[in-house]
Order: sequence, then structure tokens, then C-alpha cells
Amino acid sequence: MTISRRAFMKAGGLAMVSLGADPLFVDRAAYALREQFGSAGGKTLVCLFQRGAVDGLSMIVPAGDPWYWRDRQRIAIPKNDLVSLDGMFALHPRLASLKPLWDRGAMSIVHAVGSPSTTRSHFDAQDYMESGTPDRKSTTSGWANRYCEHAREHAETPFRAVAFGPQLPRMLSGSAPALAIDDLRAFGVRTARAEGNDRLTRAFESLYEGSATGLVASSSAEGFEAIKMLRSADPTSLAPANGAVYGRSKLAASMQQIAQLIRADLGLQIAFVDVGGWDTHVNQGADQGQLATRLDDLGGALAAFTTDLGERMRDVVVLTMSEFGRTVKENGTGGTDHGHGTAMMVIGGGVRGKQVLGTWPGLAPEARHEGRDLAVTTDFRALFSEVLTGHLGAADLNAVFPGFVPQGTLGLFG
Amino acid sequence: MRFLAILLPFFASATLAAQAPSTPADSARHALNRLGYGPTPGQVDAVAREGVLRWVDRQLATQDLRDPALARREAAVAVLHTPMADMVAMHIDQTTKALKAQAQGGDSAMIRQLQMDMRQQAQSGTRDLRTLNGELQAVTLVRAATSERQLGEVLADFWTNHFNVLITKGFDRAYFADYLEHTIREHALGRFEDLLVATAMSPAMLFYLDNVQSVADNTSVAALPSRAGQRPQAVRAGQIGRGRVLTPQRNRPGIDPAVAEQIRQRQPRGLNENYARELMELHTLGVDGGYTQDDVVDVARILTGWTIDRRGDHRFQFQSAAHDRGEKVVLGRTFPAGHSMDEGRALLAMLASHPATMHHISAKLCARFVADVPPDGCIDDAVRAWQRTDGQILEVVRAIVHSQDFWATANVQAKVKSPLEFVVSAVRAVGGTPDATPRLAQQLQRLGQPLFQQSTPNGYPETQDAWVNSGALLARMNFAVALASGRMPGVQVQLDRVVPLTANQDALLDEVDRAILGGMMSQRTRETIRTEIRDLRDPRVARAMAIGLAIGGPEFQRQ
Repeated sequence: MTISRRAFMKAGGLAMVSLGADPLFVDRAAYALREQFGSAGGKTLVCLFQRGAVDGLSMIVPAGDPWYWRDRQRIAIPKNDLVSLDGMFALHPRLASLKPLWDRGAMSIVHAVGSPSTTRSHFDAQDYMESGTPDRKSTTSGWANRYCEHAREHAETPFRAVAFGPQLPRMLSGSAPALAIDDLRAFGVRTARAEGNDRLTRAFESLYEGSATGLVASSSAEGFEAIKMLRSADPTSLAPANGAVYGRSKLAASMQQIAQLIRADLGLQIAFVDVGGWDTHVNQGADQGQLATRLDDLGGALAAFTTDLGERMRDVVVLTMSEFGRTVKENGTGGTDHGHGTAMMVIGGGVRGKQVLGTWPGLAPEARHEGRDLAVTTDFRALFSEVLTGHLGAADLNAVFPGFVPQGTLGLFG
Repeated sequence: MRFLAILLPFFASATLAAQAPSTPADSARHALNRLGYGPTPGQVDAVAREGVLRWVDRQLATQDLRDPALARREAAVAVLHTPMADMVAMHIDQTTKALKAQAQGGDSAMIRQLQMDMRQQAQSGTRDLRTLNGELQAVTLVRAATSERQLGEVLADFWTNHFNVLITKGFDRAYFADYLEHTIREHALGRFEDLLVATAMSPAMLFYLDNVQSVADNTSVAALPSRAGQRPQAVRAGQIGRGRVLTPQRNRPGIDPAVAEQIRQRQPRGLNENYARELMELHTLGVDGGYTQDDVVDVARILTGWTIDRRGDHRFQFQSAAHDRGEKVVLGRTFPAGHSMDEGRALLAMLASHPATMHHISAKLCARFVADVPPDGCIDDAVRAWQRTDGQILEVVRAIVHSQDFWATANVQAKVKSPLEFVVSAVRAVGGTPDATPRLAQQLQRLGQPLFQQSTPNGYPETQDAWVNSGALLARMNFAVALASGRMPGVQVQLDRVVPLTANQDALLDEVDRAILGGMMSQRTRETIRTEIRDLRDPRVARAMAIGLAIGGPEFQRQ
């Protein structure tokens, strides 16, 4: 079903005609939205970018590979602490909070995944992973934006694509509307005194309704619509459900706000959040230390998010990604250097869980990329494509990953 | 009569008003918007009185324009007077410290200590790179907002964006200020070829697009200058905002194996096509400029050995040992075997004057000055001027300004301002002056166009679809309201000198229209603002509201 933006704007505007909307109106508006998304409700994909190149071999440990132990005398995770998944692979102990998801069949992992580009520059590799066009630098838009641009079956809501942070990341940049929200609680038109905000918002809205033309008119209308929807649905008032407890990190706060947007039925389809600190060249640590601290934050935020959403996780997939992995062998300073393949996690109620997917190339020196790194056996575009088709129902990905033709499927869905 | 330009050369603009759809004030505002960063209070009338073409001519003779006030401000900006070598030393020092802090075990405590040290350094007057590069952003906004040489500033921004380099990429933190001042700004108004050659030889571009790493295939590593026993050597920093540096190795035999491995990996091992490709696709011919992948490879081969003297002063160096001396063919032209740096210069000359380049760059200039989709006639005028003057940039711009398309009513108020254009024109509209801090630049970052921080080599886009989205528009409204109420950090605003306080709201609206919007306030906007301020008794509050709405409103988003 295709719903034109105009039709949506009209329906939304009608339902929430006043800023101090009647709760019944709000309820009905949310109901109307759910109707538009179809009976299953809106599906949401959360992309979580681990910037700085996470050591996939510490995150998802190939405990059954002898070379892991041989080449990582100082930084291997102690055997007794590992959270075993399937005999071959194990979770880092600080990700133990994700084990229940694994056991319930709501989590799978793709290992030895990465980019066909051999660059070891963070800058270039992140760029390629977000543009979706490895080794092609001049692509201006991100793959997630191109998805929104071409997949028109989703209703246009201002909250369809939201990045949590001060700016739109490359992945969501492009011609389709997308919002960058640093903090949901501060979104909108603001004056020095909060009580003036509504009045100012109305004034600007009336100005733009009267005199704006073209793209400025439609975009500003979306913005005012977003403010009204937030005001009516008031997602930030939703306390964590099911006893979920979010940590105090920026990542945890963003995940909580993503959950709030989902629970408020605002039509969120693609959410983006990123978290840094993975570039562990020196003293990355094993079960304790720098990397463990980062993983603790990650695991905690993901566990709280999935607990909070509870049953709604059937409509949600969280996909983690990182620009490349790190060297198999630890370096002279207790860390790891820029490598190639890494591991990515796929979490969600609709995921065929309890699998470590992709071909494991092994860590033997002859199997390594350029003799030093975990080889890439799954192109990240194959994984992303499968999530877009399997979870969001995308049909044609030619424009999203131009020139890329997936060979078979990983088996993440269905 | 549809085109002002037909008449403008022949009639004084004052006589034009009755015959053309536009008034002299409209022409003046259009010229101020497109050839500069918008009018300051009263400037529309002043330029209309002077005659818009006379003002344009003065802008085109930009080097003759004096601006002592700006010169005084520039004299006080440390980054403009800090040698690149000092910035390189700071970069190496900072990254070494950061690495040591990490190495000494720790994570957060050591890094906190390091940050404290840096803060103390900053307070005690010793400047770090972050401070210096913040100053560079600040002075860029000062120049754009206050310079008498408005066209010069617009062109400096155009070329900085065209030859984009990311200021936060590793050593470019140290190279960028020099690049902006001496590569871009020194050549922004001259011949295109000179500008192109300057960028090709700049450490900033050589590092940003990896030509430093490009050596002829099969180059003997032994033939390259050794990296052993040197002063601290940089490892190419990948991560934005931080780099890695090898700690000094005074005793070569005792070198840490991991460090040796890093050095081995750092040795360039072959051709890197990155710069060669962008040189043709972005800097010269354009993506449809008719080159092939084979051309890319041979351009890369021609440019092998074009690198940075990273053991010495970090300036351009031609490394003979890394140069591919074989025969190459580019765009059908043969570059015979046995040559060295000279063939690179010949290549750049060929690319600079190639018809595809003339067309590509002319079209991009027309997109900036005339319309997002540049009209063919205007491009043709620009190309003819390019051919006639051997690529004199100001002559190409002159041809664009004199083209019919520049003045066509369909193209007036037709372009949406980029965040940079919005912020600077807003500051100019309220007669504001950016201070020396990077706070205004941080606002620009919030609006989505952080200065010098576009990561991709194609620079920031020129077209409205890149800039207009709901979040960005709301951010502009917030910026406008904060600016008008004097709450915008980093700008000094003296509204009393722009819109005098008055209890008469009609007079207030007249003044806001004249001073802030240059007379383009629509009746509908006027009525809306009047409704909003009707019950505001305090004339100060009413004025701030009216100005905030005017700048945050739809008319001001266009130019």
C-alpha cells in the first residue's frame, strides 16, 4: 500500500488538531497510524554502529579455534569466564546479559563479516559501511536513506528515520527526510522560557504555512507535525517497562529514547545510534579493562532495551556493525591493530536465533587476510540486505546497494 | 522585459524601475545575496544608490578593496601566524601523549589527566591544535560576516569546498590552516590551473587523498628514505580526531616488535588511486568527463613520488625512487617513459584546460551563483570566458554575473541558503560581529555544516535537497530566535543600531522589513508577525520576537 505524504499529513493533522490534544484523540491517532502500518504494526530496525573497529574476536570469541589462544597470550578471555554459545563460539563475559536472548532464540551472530574494501582507515571504512558502496568515495547518500527514498510502502511520518546524535550520520543522509535528535526531550522550537515554546511554535508554523514554498514548505510541515506528535504522544513520559533498568551512559539514554519512540507508535522504521571507544591499540584488556568496560555498556544497554520493549521486540531488530575488525595477534602493547573481518549481532523477536552464521574461515595464518587478520567471508551488504528484506520487507535493493548481488542467504529470517 | 541584464549595461539602474519587474533594490539584494553573504542593515539601499553593476565591479576588483578593520582582527588571530611546522610538532606531541596515557594502563584516569594538562596549557597561553583550529573556524566566520571583500570570501569558501580536505583527519589537523591560508585563499581569485597545482602539491591534499602512500608498484622499499632512527614518526591516523604515533625509537636494535610491525605495515607498498580518481572526477573533468579506469591508473602512476617530506619540514617532496618512470597514456595522450616530476605538471596543465573541466567547474560555479540546476546559457558564457582568459577565475565569475540567467526573475530568491549562508547572512542582517571563539562555528555544526569537517572529498552539496529537512529547519528557527534575543553565544549583536526601539508596531515591522529582510517581507508574513507581537507590551520583547520570526521564517531561508 502506498500512502502519499500529503494524505498522511492530513490525517495526522486532523487527529491532533490542537496542541493540548484530548487523550482520546491521541489514542485514536496512534490507532490510525497502526492501521496504516498494517495489522502487524510498524517494524523497526535499529542500527548500532560501533565506531573505531571493535575487536570481534573478543566480543564473540572463537574459543574452539586453537590460534585464538596461541596468538593472544595476554588478551584472550579466560576460558572459565566465557559465556559459551555453541561449543565453538562464546560471548565475552560482559555480554552475559545477552545470553537470555540467545537462549530464547532472539539473537544470532554473523562472524567474519566485513567490507570487501581492504582499507584499514577508520575514516574510509566507516564511510563505505554507511554509504553502502565500498571503495567508492563519491557516493553522497547513505544506504539507509536510499532505502527510505525507494521503499515507499511505509507511511511517511516525520519519525520514520531518526538518528540519535547532533547530526545526521552518513548512513541516513540523502534526499529522504530523516531527523537527527540529540535528546528527544529538547526537540522542537525553544525559547529561553519553556512556557513560550508553544506560542513560538504556532507563530513559526503560521509563517511557514503562509509563505513557504516547495521543499521548505513540505519539510517545515513535517517538522511541526513532529513537534505535535511528540507533544501528543509524549514518549519521554514512558517509564521503562518490564523492570528494565537503563544505565547512565549516552548509549543507554539513546536506546531508552528509541524504545520510547517505538512504544509511542510514532512510525519509527530506522533508528541509528553510534558508540565509540573500540579502537583498542593499547592495553585492551581481557575480561577486565577498556574493551570490557565498553562491552559492559553495550550489553547493558541492549539488555535493558529488549527487556523494556518485551513483546514489541517481535517488530524490532537491532543490528550492530563496525567498520572492520582487529588483528588476530595481539600487538606489543597489549592491544590489537586495525584488521579486517569482525562480528555483528542481530537481535530481534523475528530473527531465527541461536545461530552463528557465515562461513568461519579459521584463524590459521594461511587462512588470514594478508596473513594477519580474520578474513571476510560475508560482505556486510549481504547481511544488511537480508535484514532489509527479511525484517522490513524490502523488495528491490538495487538502489540501496548498487551493483551488489547477494549470493544466497545467511538464513537470518524465516 | 524579462531579463534585467539586457537593460542593466545600458541604463542607470534608477531608470530601470519602471520598465523591469524588479526594482534597483531587488537587483541590489540579489547581488548581495549571491556574490556575498547577504546584506547588512541598509546595504540594499546603499548598493542600489551606488548602482548594482558598479558594486559588482568593485567586488570583482576584490584585491583593491581595503578592509583595515578586518586586517586588525586577523592580526590578533594566532593560528594565522603559527608556522605549519609548529602545528606538526603539536600534533606529534599530542598524539604521543595520548598513546602513552593509554599505554600506561589506563584508560580513563590517565586520559582525564592528559585532558587536564591540555586545559592548563590552554589557560596558560600555550595553544594546542584544537584551540588553533577552533580559531581558524572562528576567523572564517568573522571574514564571511564582516569582510568588505564579500565575493572574495564566497569564492574562498567555494574553492575550499571544491578542493575539500577534512581538518580532523590525522595530520591534516596540522596541515589544514596552512592549506586554507596559502593554498586556497592565495589562489582563489587567480588562474584555475595555479589553484589546481597548488592543491596537488599541498601536504593537506596529499595526505587527505592518500597520495603520500602511492608508490610505483615494485618500488624497492630499501630505495625509499628509511624510517628507522628518526624523530617520532607518525602512523597514519585513521580515526577522526585522533592519531597514533610511534613512540620515539632511539635504539633501533631494541625496537619493539609490534612497533617494527607497524612500521612495516606503514611502508607504502604500491599504487594508491584515490587522489588520481578524485582529481579527475571531482577536481577537474567531472564524473562524466570521459576518463576510464585505465586513465585513473596511469594518472596515479604519473603522480607517484608526489609526497610529503615527513622526515623534514612536512612540505611537498618529489621522491624519485617512488616514481614510476614507465610510459603512461591519459585521455589518449602519451606520456613517454623516462620522465619524473615534469610529467605530473604537464598532466595537471592538460586537465586544467580540458574542455570537460571548463564545463564541469563552470557549471558548479553557476550552481552556486545562479541556480541549483545551472542553466546552459550561463554555463556557456562562463566557458567562453574561461577559454578567452585561460581560466582566470574572476573573469569566469564576471561572465556569470553578466549572463542573462543571473538576473532572470525565475532565479531570484530561488536558492535555499546552506547552513553557512544562513548563519552568516543572519549575523550580517542584525549587524552582528562574531567573536574570536569557535562558539558560532559550533552553532553551524548543529545546523549540519561544520566548517572544514565534510568527510567526503566531494565537499558539501550545493543543492537545497541536501539542506532542507524538518530537523534542520527547526534548528534554524531556534538559531534565529536566540540570535534576535541576544542569547546566541559567539556573536555580539547591537539591535539598537539596526532596528530602533519603538512602541509603534507598524513602524517596527517597517524597520524589520527594511533592515533585516531587505524589503522582501510578504504581506502574509507581515500579518503573521503583527498578530504575534500585538500583545507584547515591552518593545524590546516585541522587537526580538519580530526579528526572530523574520530570520527564522521562510523568506530568509532563500536567497
